[in-house]
Amino acid sequence: MNASHPSLRPAPDGSVDPITLSVVRYKLLAIAEEVVEVMTQASFSPILNQSRDFSSAVLDGDGMVLAQAERVPIHMGALSFAVKLMIEAFDGDLREGDVLMANDPYWGGSHLPDVTLAAPLFVDGQIRLWVANRAHQGDIGGISPGGYSPSAREIWHEGLRIPPVKLMDRGRVREDLLRLVCTNTRTPADMRGDLMAQLSSVSRGVARAADLYARYGARTMGRACGAILDAGERAMRRQLANWKQGEFEGVSCLDPLAPGQEALPVKVRIVLRGDSAIVDFRECADQQPSFINSPLANTKASVNVAFMYLSGGQDAQNDGSTRAIQVLTRPGSFVDPIEPAPVTACTTLTASVIIEAVMRGLAQAAPERVVAGYARRFRLAISGMDRNGRHFIWHTFANRGGGGAHDAADGWSNLGVIHNPGGSPSPSVERTEAAFPFQIETYALRPDSGGAGRMRGGLGGVYVLRYEGSAPATVTPTGDGAYTAPYGLAGGADGQPHHYTIERDGQELPLGAKEASLTLLPGDRIICRSAGGGGYGDPAQRDPSAARRDVEYGYISQRRGPQAA
Amino acid sequence: MRIGVDIGGTFTDMVAVDELGAIITTKTPSTPDDPSLGVADGLALLAQRLELTLPELLGRTELLIHGTTVATNCLTERKGAHVGLITTRGFRDVLELREGTKARRYDLHSPFPQPLIARPDRLEVPERTCWDGSVQAALDEAAVLAQIAVLRAQEVEAVVVGFLHAHVNPAHELRVRELIAAQGWDVYVVLSHEILGSEGEYDRFSTAAVNAYVGPRLSTYLRRLRERLEGAGASFPLLVMQSTGGLLPVDESARYAVGCITSGPAGGARASALYARLMQAERVIAYDTGGTTTDISLIERGMPIERRKTELEDVKIAVPSIDIQVVGLGGGSIARIDDGGILTLGPDSAGAAPGPACYGRGGGLPTLTDANLALGYLSSTTFLGGRMPLRRDLALAAIETAVARPLRLDVEQAALAIHTLASSRIAESVRAAALRRGMDPRDLTLLSFGGAGGVHAASVAAELSIPEAVVPREASVFSAMGFLAADIRLDGQIPFGKPLDEVQAGELSEVFAELEGRMRARMEACGFGAGQVRLERFLDCRYKRQNSTLEVMVPEHAVGLPPGQWLVEPFETRYRQYYGHVHHGEPPFIEICRVSAYGLITAQGGPRPSDHGAGTLPRPPGFEARRRIHLGRWVDVPAYWFDELRSGADLSGPALIDSATTAVLLPDGCQAHVDEFGSLVMHNHARKPA
Repeated sequence: MNASHPSLRPAPDGSVDPITLSVVRYKLLAIAEEVVEVMTQASFSPILNQSRDFSSAVLDGDGMVLAQAERVPIHMGALSFAVKLMIEAFDGDLREGDVLMANDPYWGGSHLPDVTLAAPLFVDGQIRLWVANRAHQGDIGGISPGGYSPSAREIWHEGLRIPPVKLMDRGRVREDLLRLVCTNTRTPADMRGDLMAQLSSVSRGVARAADLYARYGARTMGRACGAILDAGERAMRRQLANWKQGEFEGVSCLDPLAPGQEALPVKVRIVLRGDSAIVDFRECADQQPSFINSPLANTKASVNVAFMYLSGGQDAQNDGSTRAIQVLTRPGSFVDPIEPAPVTACTTLTASVIIEAVMRGLAQAAPERVVAGYARRFRLAISGMDRNGRHFIWHTFANRGGGGAHDAADGWSNLGVIHNPGGSPSPSVERTEAAFPFQIETYALRPDSGGAGRMRGGLGGVYVLRYEGSAPATVTPTGDGAYTAPYGLAGGADGQPHHYTIERDGQELPLGAKEASLTLLPGDRIICRSAGGGGYGDPAQRDPSAARRDVEYGYISQRRGPQAA
Repeated sequence: MRIGVDIGGTFTDMVAVDELGAIITTKTPSTPDDPSLGVADGLALLAQRLELTLPELLGRTELLIHGTTVATNCLTERKGAHVGLITTRGFRDVLELREGTKARRYDLHSPFPQPLIARPDRLEVPERTCWDGSVQAALDEAAVLAQIAVLRAQEVEAVVVGFLHAHVNPAHELRVRELIAAQGWDVYVVLSHEILGSEGEYDRFSTAAVNAYVGPRLSTYLRRLRERLEGAGASFPLLVMQSTGGLLPVDESARYAVGCITSGPAGGARASALYARLMQAERVIAYDTGGTTTDISLIERGMPIERRKTELEDVKIAVPSIDIQVVGLGGGSIARIDDGGILTLGPDSAGAAPGPACYGRGGGLPTLTDANLALGYLSSTTFLGGRMPLRRDLALAAIETAVARPLRLDVEQAALAIHTLASSRIAESVRAAALRRGMDPRDLTLLSFGGAGGVHAASVAAELSIPEAVVPREASVFSAMGFLAADIRLDGQIPFGKPLDEVQAGELSEVFAELEGRMRARMEACGFGAGQVRLERFLDCRYKRQNSTLEVMVPEHAVGLPPGQWLVEPFETRYRQYYGHVHHGEPPFIEICRVSAYGLITAQGGPRPSDHGAGTLPRPPGFEARRRIHLGRWVDVPAYWFDELRSGADLSGPALIDSATTAVLLPDGCQAHVDEFGSLVMHNHARKPA
């Protein structure tokens, strides 16, 4: 049967016909989806094939993102930076069958565990498209397993830096390079397996893209790609033109980097004029000797995430949309650091705060779309001996904290961070107790944690863990939001910040988010009270039936009552 | 005589198969207020078509197999029972904490999904069982009685009892049921470990909550249906289609209500499996494009592929079901120009009301159905066998306004754009569903059975380089056909929780012996003796570092053998199919032992469709043997009435094949024949496109 639909008359002005355009846009998206699907199946480490901490994009010959598979929002638009610098690094020295690799934040990357592979599609001797895949590797060397080292003071402490290199050279895998990379991680087998999975996924993407070119021809495809970017730009501009014009400021703070220090503000000035936006971070402080620095690609990606949340659909989102948004930064600041600033926490902690600052800046310009503050990431790692005398490391994935409210609804309870809300299901209490020397005594909503408002912030949780090991263990906190509360908007109240303590012999000892490791004794209880989301709008205007239900359901304790809330 | 009944939103479909395998079907309007009325109407019509009286028909009926949407509607419309929960102290909020997840992660504006049990109805009692089944704190019975009194005063209609680690030691859950009964309270009780015998409190509590939420309504409905049938003189068993594609007797089904949440679509997958077996096709991918969605299922070696967990309307259901992947694309999907100026289709749908513009019910937005009508692929006079006259003028006007004018196209070109985009979207969805299961679409046979799918089947197959696309003749009553191809099925499981290298000799056989004993007893209670029961044994396994499990079937020859002698190879084969590699030398971790027991009722594998009988309906008066359709330009093509085509007939495109429920487009250059089962088989000889 002949499936190719009858083509229309060629458009006289050199543009592409609307059927081809809508089908090509859809098929490019399907290619990006197929790349992550291959990755899901082929990724080697069980952790990666379940957490799906990877994403992919199809880019044009210049490295502009045309289509992207929705997996990790913070990769939104970020792949473009990596691919553009790859193109620059090789300056034309690229052949059919090459696949490039890089992870360095100072070469368009985000942080070192995120390794990007990109493969060009050649048609008639020219690069027409790129297919890229970025995956978060389990370990990349450096001071701490997994890469998150609060004690890192330079990028070299954080692991192996890979500038753009050819992992595959004209169809042949560079075994020497693979050995070099794998030798520099604590989990060489996982790294090798996951890199090979990335390689097969981008190769599949290139093969499918080649089919598309064979079907439509380079001329039509080139025009379609241009038109897709134009459509993304048009959609974003239409959105911006609907928002209130003017100059706005937004601030949101990282917790103090060490006890006794000041909180670290991300300050942004946003100018909305006509159908374009300027997002100016030049007021931000100098880079820090801490892993919270956010390389430019990560900062811009965070801005993209904020605008994605603010706009209705993401169908039309691509690098065309970013043409309408100009991001200004000051090199040497912590949102545009220069070598050798360490950066590992940028995709989580700093990304959240950048998104928050933009969101708060646009609270007046787009009041129906902005959301109040979400709980930030605050995780504990506990290491010790399990019941069988084997060493274990456990990370908290439960109790994520509340989401912020917005103009039309209350926030979600127990949803977690704005840079990646939801995510994989947290392990069950039953699995946790079976596998680790813990008893979980409570896992429940935390009353009064959500910020009051016309719309109430989502509730955080209370998670009480009793350590039942026979020898002391070590607990290491990492995160943010124990000091800074999730912000309220439009008259809504802030949520409660995280409040973690260790209870020992009837005493409660505070457990900060930026502390060094502590000793955990048998019988100690860790009480994790996670943050609630911020409220939206004047609490006095809350629908009386909703206010009554808050009390009846115990979301707000009687003591405070609906009015006092 | 066996009768399959599928109650849909609009029609109640019946398929009867007599002792010789001959098929008779009927279609009557559904009666949503009391669906059992529609069943009675259908039976009366069936009797009439067989030239029997109703008592004669009922007297000759051995079985009635029923698929129902009562449970589904109850859940999706949130019209279920008022449910209470009794749980371990400290854990009343497990249902509301939802494991910290969100279905549409990046849509920050969707409202928080309220749990099926409201917080004041979730009550705690002091008790604690540990991970190894030991009891750390005894059940506080005085507290239980007090909480029972509270729930009773709140007039709940169903009670879920869910305690931590009850899958290892269910004593406390069982005791609460005794205490409820001792109070003389006749309420629908659900124990979490009975609904799901595996680790994971959220999975168990959530699944039990769904069961309690839909159970009372389903019970009432099934009771009423049985009474109505018995009142008419029926004495045959009533069986209910489950989401697994198996059947349950009516009493078991009322208790295990969560099992029929996707009963209807399971029938479609089951019927696809029947055709796959008849055609001897190793692997089939079936898609059902209806009014609002396209449902995709995969058939491997004659059986639908299953999944362990389902998310429906933000509710998690952790019991097995046929893996039906749902894509938001159907005949009612709305076409529009997005903010960037490019044509999009769906996922929003005009539904049945107002419906596509051409229904003339006030829907002004152009849909896929409008496009297919505008192109002449659908006929305004024979749609649904002529029962639903369509207004082509309204379809054209809607397409003109919303698509053609903004894109500066002719209305036919705009319609063709919508049609083409739909074919691409169905094709890519089918490709994705196959890839997710580690299959190459080119190795599959495509089966299209939804009303809106036939006009796209040939293009979908061509886009995927699938050699054959099959449209079965019985499409109109496909789900009901599937019911008749099913057997009774009971599922049971016991948690195991050990890596392979720590399994003691005989340990696994003991667990299976206990489980099989239980299953045989339940089968006995359903009236199936040893000779009529077939058992399938499974181990749910994973690597230790992994969260999700893969299912490995225990081969007959391996039953009783130590798993060390046989498990690694099939586990690794399965893992490789999904993930493309294995971890050599790492022992599988055996999470759960499961047994599926089948009570065999299907003779020779179910009904055998042919090129006549079945839904044979005369061509409607408005049917025209030549039609004008748009294939880039207007052409005259022959049209055939599907029910008049006989096995062996050969057709060449361009042509249309119409039936009372679907229309099939045979494109230019495409060949087709009618096979011995009456299906239209289209052949793809085209080279591989993108």
